[in-house]
Amino acid sequence: MQLPDNNGHFGEYGGRYISETLMPAVIELEQFYKKIRNDKEFIKEFNYYLKNYVGRPSPLYFAKRLSDIYKSDIFLKREDLNHTGAHKINNTIGQALLAVKMGKRRIIAETGAGQHGVATATVCALFNLECEVFMGKKDVERQKQNVFRMELLGAKVNPVESGSQTLKDAMNEALRDWITNIKTTYYMIGTVAGPHPYPLIVRDFQSVIGKEVLKQLKKLPDILIACVGGGSNAIGLFYPFFKYPQVKMYGVEAGGCGIETGMHAASISGGAPGVLHGNKTYLLQDEFGRIADAHSIAAGLDYPGIGPEHSYFADKKRIIFASVTDDEAVWAFQKLCRLEGIIPALESSHAVAYLEKIKKEIKGKTVVINLSGRGDKDMHTISEYLSSNTNKKL
Amino acid sequence: MSKENKIDTVFNRLKTENKTAFIPFISIGDPDIDTSLEIAKTLIKNGADIIELGFPFSDPMADGKVIQKSYERALKRKISMEDAFSFIKKLKAYRDIPVILFTYYNPVFVLGEKFAEGAKNAGIDGILVVDLPPEESAELTRSIQDKNIYQIYLIAPTTGNERMKRILSYAKGFVYYVSVTGVTGARKGLPETIKSKVKEIKEISSIPVGVGFGISSKEQARDIGKCADAVIIGSKIIQFIEDDINDKPAIIRRIAEFSFDIKSNL
Repeated sequence: MQLPDNNGHFGEYGGRYISETLMPAVIELEQFYKKIRNDKEFIKEFNYYLKNYVGRPSPLYFAKRLSDIYKSDIFLKREDLNHTGAHKINNTIGQALLAVKMGKRRIIAETGAGQHGVATATVCALFNLECEVFMGKKDVERQKQNVFRMELLGAKVNPVESGSQTLKDAMNEALRDWITNIKTTYYMIGTVAGPHPYPLIVRDFQSVIGKEVLKQLKKLPDILIACVGGGSNAIGLFYPFFKYPQVKMYGVEAGGCGIETGMHAASISGGAPGVLHGNKTYLLQDEFGRIADAHSIAAGLDYPGIGPEHSYFADKKRIIFASVTDDEAVWAFQKLCRLEGIIPALESSHAVAYLEKIKKEIKGKTVVINLSGRGDKDMHTISEYLSSNTNKKL
Repeated sequence: MSKENKIDTVFNRLKTENKTAFIPFISIGDPDIDTSLEIAKTLIKNGADIIELGFPFSDPMADGKVIQKSYERALKRKISMEDAFSFIKKLKAYRDIPVILFTYYNPVFVLGEKFAEGAKNAGIDGILVVDLPPEESAELTRSIQDKNIYQIYLIAPTTGNERMKRILSYAKGFVYYVSVTGVTGARKGLPETIKSKVKEIKEISSIPVGVGFGISSKEQARDIGKCADAVIIGSKIIQFIEDDINDKPAIIRRIAEFSFDIKSNL
């Protein structure tokens, strides 16, 4: 079966739940992308920038000390070593090339932690495009450094004051801007969510991660682990492996203060199917269908939804979803610093933390963790957390 | 046999009178349930032919600041779809004019089959789901088709001729032409393209055309009334609530005057 189908559905999920004003633009994008998707020149150009600008392939690093502790072979896919410090740039390079080919010179984007915003601002500088980024006011405050980076790169950052002032509200505001400026503007979505064809486009551009792992490992891994907010780094790693049923996949959601507290961002572990931001998928919501606020120490996971392809594979149990809490993520963050000399992003720390939950299962196995980003942006958050939770310091 | 949908009754009557329908929009529960019921009655008393009621949603992506704030005020108290249904029942008991429920899809989707049943019992005549294009409407269409509830479709300035034809083939009651490329909200100037687009729709279908988004004055209403069958006004009315949030009699008085003024120009 082809996923998504021609209408952008992954089983019952995905689709295009958007206002009529946007429909023609999204259909235009779909048709344009269909034509260019397998175009040799386009792929060549994309690969050129991945190699020479992003610095791909990213290393698949054998984490020896970590492996010794868990008595398994643990490899880290070093997306943190990409230009701009995370996997996000893979997608923005691809979409920027797409926008240029479509003749759109104004780019808008939403961002949570600021990683996608920085990656967008970066490619806009590279390709000489006008760039406006929408970012929840709360995120602007907790990710000041990324705001400054975006501004240095020439982007305009618009703090969003509506709703919970986080990623979902930034996406609402980006959609409002897009409705208004549809003729001139390309909306660069940062994750595998939104109306069709975005989940497909972002998956295509991110699946370079898993393709490289296949080549670098020279054998099939037993287990893949990735953190999941919207789920672009996870799909990027998992997608090329879906056809190998023997490869087990874990999607680690942000458990925040614990699923039972209601303060988390785990759409699959603690949500229900619904419709938001153009697609049908698992969402955090109340009994009346209103979207609930998400919580995670990792701003990049702080979103009440998840990409529709994840929802589909969650139901099919092809991807096993689980969650780790803020505390567990911070523990793993520190552990990786000390053991491997790698400072991971708080988002990626969730994936590392999950090792502890499956330590029996992974003994003697080959495990690949997507280290989706580096932790430089999180210094402030971590130092605040550790100074108010001194007992959590390693 | 189902009887005629009241939306059709209203448009048929206005056609013979050579008049344009006035469709005001307010949010259920803004600033509170009782006051919003009183505002709805005031609108009916002062010329509303059909009323469009917004179900407050946490993430109103297609709405501008005024309606966003209106929903935020309403959501300070939890309002369920059941509350909306009982609101509509009360309004219908006051006067049985057509009611269109305006909503985002998620609150409808989570109720499943219960939604259509409740909507029918409440007496809802039409439902407009702003983020549900015809491509994704099958489930909702199926659940309301034997309940004499119309799904109201939107056509936007970006909608091309082919797509327009397809939407019009599904349309019932009237089709809602979104006058501006943008979110809801009052605007001083409206695009020149409205007239030509309405004409384009009318060349394809005989279904009534309502024009909304951005209309805020009697002059605009009168002008659009010349080509359209209905004028829809939301943000401008809701602005009166925001302006006099602590003075309910003033809200009612200003909305009554505005409504009367608009209807006199149609």
